[in-house]
Amino acid sequence: MTAGALPRSTARRVGAREQARRRPVVRPLVIFTIAVILAFFAVIYSRISLDRTAFELQRLDREIAVEQELHWDLRVDYARLQAPALITQRAAALGLVYPEDRYTIEISGMADTVGGPEDRWMDLRALFVEQP
Amino acid sequence: MARTRFRFVDLRLIAVGLVFVLAWAGIGYRLFRVQGADAAELAQLGFDQRVRHETIQAKRGTIYDRDGIELAVTVYGKALVADPSLVEAPGEAAAILAPIVGVDYVELIQRLEGDGRFTYVARRLESDTVERAREAIESADLIGFWFVEEPLRIYPSGALAAPVIGITRLDDGSGIEGIEAVMETELAGHPGKRVVERDQSGRAIPQAEFLLEPSVAGSDVVLTLDREIQYISETSLQAGIDRSGAFGGSVIVLDIANGEILAMVSLPGFDGSDRSALDPSTLRNRAITDVYEPGSTLKVVTVAAALEEGVIRPDTPFETPNEIEVGDETYSDHGSNPPVMTVSDIVAQSSNVGTIKIQRQLGNEAHYRYLDAFGLGRPASIDFAGESTGRLDHVSEWNNVAAGPSAAIGYGVGATPLQMASVFATLANDGEWVEPHVIAEIVASDGERTITEPRRHRVVSPETARTMRTMLRRVVEDGTGFRADIDEFPVGGKTGTTDKFDVATGKYSDTETIAWFIGIAPIDDPKIVVVVVLDSPSGMIAGGYDMSFGGTSAAPIFAEIAESTLHQLGVSPTHDGDA
Repeated sequence: MTAGALPRSTARRVGAREQARRRPVVRPLVIFTIAVILAFFAVIYSRISLDRTAFELQRLDREIAVEQELHWDLRVDYARLQAPALITQRAAALGLVYPEDRYTIEISGMADTVGGPEDRWMDLRALFVEQP
Repeated sequence: MARTRFRFVDLRLIAVGLVFVLAWAGIGYRLFRVQGADAAELAQLGFDQRVRHETIQAKRGTIYDRDGIELAVTVYGKALVADPSLVEAPGEAAAILAPIVGVDYVELIQRLEGDGRFTYVARRLESDTVERAREAIESADLIGFWFVEEPLRIYPSGALAAPVIGITRLDDGSGIEGIEAVMETELAGHPGKRVVERDQSGRAIPQAEFLLEPSVAGSDVVLTLDREIQYISETSLQAGIDRSGAFGGSVIVLDIANGEILAMVSLPGFDGSDRSALDPSTLRNRAITDVYEPGSTLKVVTVAAALEEGVIRPDTPFETPNEIEVGDETYSDHGSNPPVMTVSDIVAQSSNVGTIKIQRQLGNEAHYRYLDAFGLGRPASIDFAGESTGRLDHVSEWNNVAAGPSAAIGYGVGATPLQMASVFATLANDGEWVEPHVIAEIVASDGERTITEPRRHRVVSPETARTMRTMLRRVVEDGTGFRADIDEFPVGGKTGTTDKFDVATGKYSDTETIAWFIGIAPIDDPKIVVVVVLDSPSGMIAGGYDMSFGGTSAAPIFAEIAESTLHQLGVSPTHDGDA
């Protein structure tokens, strides 16, 4: 028994398959290349973003430092303005003097406040609460 | 000809080839050196140029008063510095910068013409001055000038309490006097470390910074001082010094219940923010370093000890001639004494003779025991550097028969104003000694608080202390301390006047005295003890009274301070004004 020729349709199918097998596999390569390119740009982008963020952080640090400096300058100014010597000097310039007659007003609960500032604040808070 | 041309071409080719070979060999050699032989060294050089190990300065802690007002605070200021080797025209630069930064033109030229590579042009510059100087440098295109940041210690209240707070060094900012020195470890904190990569312009490269160790800010120190009471005390003492022409003086205001020092004054003082006028002799805190013979103020210890031991009672009578001889020494009283005085009279009139008689009944051993228990002969507090121990010889060294009687009237014993404040505070506090202290609490940078707990011990019974206060009231009512009386509060206290001892000659001065007044206010419900000491007051006050005595020069200062302090503390007036 000898083999007969393949039917035409079958031969066509085998040829197409063979052609497909011989054709180089491009799609995965393209996808891989695109992925690599995307990854490359992603890395660059993230690097730039990191740098931008770092610069932004640096700027914020500088701003914090400036604000802290301002904060302490203001506190020093505040303390200087509260100095009794300065207040006395300003008061004298304004013509303020101690009165000849002094009257003592006793406020209940305020007499024994020899404690620290917290005690005094507690007394003052209590006083404020009682006020209408 | 052809052979010759061929040879010439050949030679040219060979020459060019050789040049190329040599050039490539040179490049290759250089490449070998750079990438091979010297690679490690060059890499290190580049690393060193780019990467720097920097110290992160720790912010120094702040010193507050009891109400949280800053007494000493560190801010970061700018200093203008120069590299004289880069400054092209020192004269021109000095002419531009000197008026802006406020330095002497000639002095600045000298510094800019110096040989070194670094000099300060001006330090502690305000921000607006920095801006003006920067603009001037840029517009004049001056080379070799730049700004550096440096910490500045600011004392916002100026000279107020300066001898107590102390001062720091300009170079490294460490404390050298006062609380700044005592609390150096706590205030300084710990500097940190970091590695920074910088570009050619000196700018830090982002993401190239590594923190090796963070800095830890110094702890804040809260003092017991009250700024208003401190100011009242300073102005009153200064007025007293001006009135009496004294060389200087001290004041201590002590809260008797807890040993808190509300004010501590030492004059003449200084202003830590103005170092140009700093006199080293004013740096010391006289209230803790200067030792004086306390004179009559120490009689309270003699009498309290005798009362506590049951040797005497307030109404025990003593014969009081004007003079008494003990060994080779003769002790006398000012003025004329009545023939008999009670213990209460002896205290009120400050009789030396009567006090010596009481001491002889008490005996040296018991007398010494009480002097020791009241805190004499050792530092009164642990809060001060350089606090003197005073002088109290052990009783076994009281070989001279007059040692005990002398100690009874405050001679031969040395005490600081703080020690004497502590003695009177013990009597005011019903006989319990409480350690005087100026540091209320230490607040670490993480918020942890360390609150001072003063030491305490009983010296005499509450009854003895009350009896002593009654006698001290009499001193002010009808004794030597009447100038200490104030209208709104009943006060008590003791005057003291001792001849000034000259260490150089080893003799007592005939003209100079140490004048004391130590008082308790209010005497019926004690809140504070005020010590006033004047060094060599002189002159006369109205009525022809000699200012060299404690009763005439120091007592009025006490009255001013005590009255204002009680107002400041919110103590209600209780006195009917009969004294």
